[in-house]
Amino acid sequence: MNNLTSDNIAYIIKDLNYRGIVAEGIHEELIDHICSATEAEMVKGKKFIDAYHHVLKSFGHTAGLRQTQKQILQSENQKSAIMLKNYLTIAFRNLKKQGFYSFINIGGLAVGVAACLVIVLFIIDELSFDKFNTRANRIYRVNHEIKFGGNHMLMNTSSAPTASALQQDYPEIEATVRFRDYGSYLVKTAEGRESIKEQNVIWTDSTFFKIFSVNVLLGDPKTALREPASVAISRRTADKYFPYGNALGQSLILDSKYNAKVTAVYENIPSTSHFHFDILISMVGDWPVAKEAQSTVFLSNNFPTYLLLKEGVKAKELNNKLGGYLAKYVGPQLAQALGNDFTMEKFKAAGNKYEISLMRLLDIHLHSNFKGEFEPNGNIAYIYLFGTIALFILVIACINFMNLSTARSSNRAKEVGVRKVMGSLRSHLVRQFLTESTLVTIFSFVVALGLAYLFLPFFNNLSLKRLHLPLTDPALYMILFVAALVIGLMAGLYPSFFLSAFKPVNVLKGHVALGMKSGFIRSTLVVFQFVISIFLIIGAITVNRQLNYIQSKKLGFEKDQVLLIKDAYALRPNVQSFRNEALKIGSVESCTISGFLPVEGSSEISRHDNTFWKEGKQPNPDNLVSLQDWRVDNDYINTFKMNVKKGRGFNSEFLSDSSAVVLNEAAIKQFGLGDDPIGKKISTFGGERPDGSPDPNQIESWTVIGVVEDFHFSSMKENILSLGLFLRKSDGFISIRINGNNSQETIQSLEKIWKQLAPGQPFQYSFLDEDFGQMYASEQRLGQIFGAFAGLAIIIACLGLFALTAFTAEQRTKEIGIRKVLGASVSSIVILLSKEFGKLIIIAFVVAVPIAWLGVDWWLKSYTYKTEIGGLVYLFAGLLTFAIAWITVGYQSIKAATSDPVRSLKNE
Amino acid sequence: MHSSELLKGTLQTILLKVLKDNGKMYGYEITQRVKELSAGSILLTEGALYPTLHRLEAEGLLKTDTVMLGKRVRKYYTLTPEGKSTVKERVSEFVEFIKTMGNILQVETY
Repeated sequence: MNNLTSDNIAYIIKDLNYRGIVAEGIHEELIDHICSATEAEMVKGKKFIDAYHHVLKSFGHTAGLRQTQKQILQSENQKSAIMLKNYLTIAFRNLKKQGFYSFINIGGLAVGVAACLVIVLFIIDELSFDKFNTRANRIYRVNHEIKFGGNHMLMNTSSAPTASALQQDYPEIEATVRFRDYGSYLVKTAEGRESIKEQNVIWTDSTFFKIFSVNVLLGDPKTALREPASVAISRRTADKYFPYGNALGQSLILDSKYNAKVTAVYENIPSTSHFHFDILISMVGDWPVAKEAQSTVFLSNNFPTYLLLKEGVKAKELNNKLGGYLAKYVGPQLAQALGNDFTMEKFKAAGNKYEISLMRLLDIHLHSNFKGEFEPNGNIAYIYLFGTIALFILVIACINFMNLSTARSSNRAKEVGVRKVMGSLRSHLVRQFLTESTLVTIFSFVVALGLAYLFLPFFNNLSLKRLHLPLTDPALYMILFVAALVIGLMAGLYPSFFLSAFKPVNVLKGHVALGMKSGFIRSTLVVFQFVISIFLIIGAITVNRQLNYIQSKKLGFEKDQVLLIKDAYALRPNVQSFRNEALKIGSVESCTISGFLPVEGSSEISRHDNTFWKEGKQPNPDNLVSLQDWRVDNDYINTFKMNVKKGRGFNSEFLSDSSAVVLNEAAIKQFGLGDDPIGKKISTFGGERPDGSPDPNQIESWTVIGVVEDFHFSSMKENILSLGLFLRKSDGFISIRINGNNSQETIQSLEKIWKQLAPGQPFQYSFLDEDFGQMYASEQRLGQIFGAFAGLAIIIACLGLFALTAFTAEQRTKEIGIRKVLGASVSSIVILLSKEFGKLIIIAFVVAVPIAWLGVDWWLKSYTYKTEIGGLVYLFAGLLTFAIAWITVGYQSIKAATSDPVRSLKNE
Repeated sequence: MHSSELLKGTLQTILLKVLKDNGKMYGYEITQRVKELSAGSILLTEGALYPTLHRLEAEGLLKTDTVMLGKRVRKYYTLTPEGKSTVKERVSEFVEFIKTMGNILQVETY
C-alpha cells in the first residue's frame, strides 16, 4: 500500500524529528508505524495531512510520542547489569569508532604521566638522602664562613681542635666526629703484588659508628677505630681484597708505607648518602694525618666536623651560642697572627668575616655546595625546577585530554540532544562520559607505566642515579589508580557539564553552538602549552650555548694534547728518572711534575693557599692577600703553554729562582705592585710558634720574577683568584705535552717506563681536556635533560594541537566545501584554518619571552664568565615552535582544503 | 473494550502467541492483527506495544530483521527458538490462571 508519496514520507520524518523522536532503535519503527497508519486513514478517504494528524492523536500527540520513546529507553536501561555493560560497550564502541583520536589522547596522556612518574622517582630519591641514619635529626655539620684578604670562603670544614673544644664547652653535644680527606690511596694486601687505587678513603674518629647508622658486620664498632693504624672497611672492599672472607685482623698496606690492620667490616653505605667511604682510617697515633689531628691551631680548617646533639636540644639555640667559641679560641689566635691591634670588631668593621654555623645533616645533599664536599651534591633548585616541569607536563597532558574529549563530545550532540530530551536521563549522559574518560585514563596509565619502565635506564644515565620503579609496592598501584580516577573524572565532567549547557532544540536542529566560553578556554590551554614549550626550548639553547662558550673560551693555557699521569708519587724515588726517560720519546714535547693542575676535579688535584703581603709593610687585615700557593717545576709554564707577559718564567740556570715567584695578573693587582712589579717582593710567615700560631719573627720573602696572564683554573662560575707559582717539590701528577697523532703509542711507551720504575703500582692517566670537560659535566647533563624535556613538551603540545585541528577541520567541512565551491583556493583555506592557531602561538611567544628571560638571567648569574643570550635565541625558539605547530596544523588544513567539496556538502 | 488494567499483565503473552501463529510481523501489522482477533475490543496502543516488544527482544525471545522500503525502515519481529518454547508455557499458564480465577470468583469459564 504505497499511497504515501515520497514527499509525504519526508514530511512525516521531518515532523517527527522536530517533535523529538530521534532515539536510535525506535524512531524508525515509529515512523514506519505512523506511515502505515496514515496510509490506512487515507484509504478511508482522508487527506494526507488530516490522516497524519489523526494518527498523531491516537499516539497522544507529541507528549504521548515522547512518553513512548522514553519508556522504551528506560526499559532498556533499567537492568543495572545491562546498564553498566551498556556504558562500557558504548564506550568501547566510541573509542574504536574514533580510533585515531583515542590513540592520540591515550598516547599524549601516557607520555605525560610517564615523564611525571620518572621525575617523581627522581625527586623522592633526592629527598631521601642520608635518611638511613636513625639519628639523622640530631646530626649537624659545623660550617665555616671566612671572608678575608680578598677571599670569601664557605667551607664544610672546621679546624682540628674544634670538635673537642665544642664538646667541652657545650653540654648540648652528645658526640662529635671529624674527617680528614687526604685524597686517594694505593692499596694492597700484605701478599699482594699490585696496588689498587682507592678513591673513597678517609681518616676519621672512633665515634664514627656512634653517630652514623652504618651497620658493622664484623668487629666491634665501639673499639674499631680506637687504636692507631686501624682501618674499618666496607663489605665490597673486604670482598675485593679478601675474597675468602677472612678480612678481620688482616693487613692492608696504604701507599706502600702504612701498614694498617682491619678491625671492622661494615655494610656498604647506601647510595642515598652524601658520602660513600670504603676505607676508614683511625685518626690516632703517629701517622701524619693523625698527628695533624692533634693540632691546636684553630685557624686552619681541614677537618669536616659533625655533631650529634642530645635529644631535645634545639639546634638554633646552640647555634646562637657559638659566638662564645669563636671569642674564646679563635679570637686570640687571630690576634696573634694579624698583629697586636687586632680586635674582632675591627676585623668585622673592615668587612671581614669569621663565622661558624650548624647545618642539618639532612640539608647537606640539597643545600650544600661548598669547596671540599665529599662528593658533588645535588641542588634544591633542580628539585624545584624538575618538580615544576613534571607538574607542567602532566598539566599539559591532562589539558589536552580534556580538550580533546570536549571537542569530540560535540560530535555526539545528537545523542546528547536525545538524552537531554529525556530530561531525567541527563544523569545517564554524565555517567556515560565519565565511564569513557575513566576507561581511557586507566588505560593511559597502564601504558604510562610501561613507558616509564622503558625510559628509566636512559634517564638513569642522564642523572647518574639508579632509580627503579617499585613494581612490587602496592602503594604505587593504588596511587596510580586514584590519580587515574581523579583525572578521568575531571576530564569526563568538563565535557558533560559543558554539553549540558546546550539547548536540546538547537542540538537537534544541528546548531551545535560551541559557545564563546568553551572556545576561550580551549585557546587559553593551547597558549599555555606553547608558553611552556617555548620556555623549555630557550632553556635548552641557553645551557648548550653556555657549554659551548666554556669549551671554546680562551683559558690562558693550552688544554689540548696534554696527558696527565696520576699518583706520580708512586714512582718515588724515581720520579725524575721517569721524566728523563719520558723526554726521550719523540712525541713528548715537554714534561712537568706538579700536583697542582689548572683544572678542578677530584681531591687529588692539589690546592693550597697562604697569606702574603707586600714586603716592607707590617701585615695587617688591610694588606693581607690570600694567594694560591702552587708548587711547580721549571717546565710547568712551558708545558701548559701559559703566557708570561712580563719578566720571565722559572729557569734552571738561575739558582736564585728557589726564592722566586711568578704571579698572575690578578695577584699583581691585589698586591698593588703597579706596572713594574719585577724585582718587588712579597712576604709570608715562614714558621709557627709552639702553640701553632704563625710566628711574626719568621718571615720569608719571595721575589717576583715574572707575571703570567690570568688563566682559568677553576669553574667559570668563579672569578680568577690571585695565584703564585713557586719552585718547590710536588709530585701529584706528571703532565706531558704530546705532539703528533699517535697518542696510543706514546701512552704505551710511557706505561713501559712506568712499569720499570714503579712495578706493582697502577699506571693511570687521563687527558687534560677531558678532565676539563668533566668540570662541566653537570651542566652538560642539565643541557641534555632540558633538551629531552623540551622535546617531550613539544611533542605533547603538538599531539594536542594535531588532534584539535583535525577536529576543527572536520567541524568546518561544510564551510570549507562551500568556500571551495565559491572559488577559494587551497592556500587561502589553509591560511584560514591556520590563522587562528598562528595567533595563539604569537600570544604564547609574547608571554613566554619575559619568563624565559628571567630564567636565563638567573641561571647565568651564577657564572662570572658567561655567554650572551641575545634576541636571536628567543626569536629562533619562537620561530621553531611556530614552524612545528604550523606543520602540525598545516597537514590537517591541507587535507581538509583539498577534499572534494561535493562530497562534504552532500553528506549533510 | 476491556480495561487496560486487565490488559497489562497479558500483553507479552498475546504478542508471543500472535507472532507464533503469523511468523514475521512488523509493529503496525501486529496492532491490526490483535484488533482483528479481538473483534475491535482490544485496541493496542503503540505506547504499550513497542516497549513490550523491545523488552521481549532484550530478553532474547524475539529477534528483528530490518528492511529498507525507500525512505522507510521496517522492522520485522520473529520468535527465537527460545521464544517459541516459551509461548506454549505462557499460554498454558494463562489458561490455568483463568481456571483458578473461575474457581475463586465462582463463575463458569469456558
